[in-house]
Amino acid sequence: MTAASVEDSGRDKKLEDVLRLIELCRMVQSSSVNPFEVDIREKLLILKKHLPDWDLIDVMLKDSEAIQQLVQIVKLQSQWITHRASALYIDPLLLELKIQLISKEELAESFAKCWHPIAQLDQLTPRGLEKAFVYWRDLIPFNERFKDGFGNQGQKAGLIGLDELESLSIFTKEEFEARLNTINKELVDRSNGKEIDYRDFIKGKDPEETALRGYLIAFVVTEGRATIRTDPLTEQIFISRMLGKPSDETKSVAIVVR
Amino acid sequence: MSEASNPPPSSSPTAQPDAAAERASLDRKTRKAFQVLLLQRGRNPGVKGWEMRRYLGKDYKKIVEVLSEDLKPLGLEVHLVPGAEGTDDSTRFLLRFRDPPTLTEAETAGFRIDDLAVLAATIALVNSKQGRISRKELESFLKGKFPRWRIDYSVDRYIKRGYLDLDDKELVRIGWRTRAEIDERSLMTLILAQGTQSNTSAK
Repeated sequence: MTAASVEDSGRDKKLEDVLRLIELCRMVQSSSVNPFEVDIREKLLILKKHLPDWDLIDVMLKDSEAIQQLVQIVKLQSQWITHRASALYIDPLLLELKIQLISKEELAESFAKCWHPIAQLDQLTPRGLEKAFVYWRDLIPFNERFKDGFGNQGQKAGLIGLDELESLSIFTKEEFEARLNTINKELVDRSNGKEIDYRDFIKGKDPEETALRGYLIAFVVTEGRATIRTDPLTEQIFISRMLGKPSDETKSVAIVVR
Repeated sequence: MSEASNPPPSSSPTAQPDAAAERASLDRKTRKAFQVLLLQRGRNPGVKGWEMRRYLGKDYKKIVEVLSEDLKPLGLEVHLVPGAEGTDDSTRFLLRFRDPPTLTEAETAGFRIDDLAVLAATIALVNSKQGRISRKELESFLKGKFPRWRIDYSVDRYIKRGYLDLDDKELVRIGWRTRAEIDERSLMTLILAQGTQSNTSAK
């Protein structure tokens, strides 16, 4: 190792000392650590010892930053003494223990006993009235407000029948019957005489297919070929093949398909 | 000494109108002070010392004292919060309840017992830690007593309402509203006395 490299590594170590000192001061300032943990005299001696070795302006700036951070610590120490001498000082450990031991009601009661809420009146100012008027004037009507963001989501909910689907060329009568039979067959195969989860059954590759399967299965149930049961506790919906004739307790229910 | 240079005796007819005028002026200024303090002007409630001087004149402190006495029967008082500069001008004057509300009244005002307990614990802890504590440290302490979601919700709410203050270093400090509304010294004493009281009553 050459003399120059030894000198460089020594200088790096000294710079590291300064950077570590800055970091320590910052850490003390950003936490509730006792500022007297920092030995100001010792740190100043370190800085004084290293000072003659600095020849770069950047390093000198770091040195002055370290001094400035030490000043902040001295300021904190002063505040710490003032606070400790005040009547508000209580050993933090004792207080933490006390808070953990007493109930929430006791804490709230202590608070309420020394609470003097501010009495004030909020009033409408001419400026506030003007702001409200401008807001109301510029407000877009509700039915137009979300058009850009959500497309036709603002359309009112309604019913769509088979005739309308046929007129929209979504289904033909033959195709519809064929699809009903297919889905009924699938239900028979998958349920195997037992109840299965309705949502699992209608789930398709995408939301469109799920909606379509939900629509078709509604017809299968209406025709009395399948039955739906909702567990009142879990609200889980089950579907099964209808065996025998439907009872008199049949009723129409709406199921949201997501 | 001539008769004209002497001040008129207090029982003289000219003294009575003077006293009446002075009384009327004081009444008028007291009413003005009440209105000024009651109506919120800026974002935060209360009126600074320099504003009070502008509305009521240089004797505003005396008028405030009179008002505070007049408000006694209504259960209100004028409270002074010293400003950061420590000058009369920076002092904030507020109207506040003279007597604390009961816990039930506090609940009626929309404060849950859990919320009040979080605030009480936070104020006490911040004061015991030289007036500042990192938010992480505070949350980790409160976690032992309150559910996580309530801590986040309550601390954010109290920062917004001015009971707590959060600086750019994420250090939680006591906010201006706590200084105005809460007798911090009593709070610390009451918290420390809580267990002792219940133990004594149990015995």
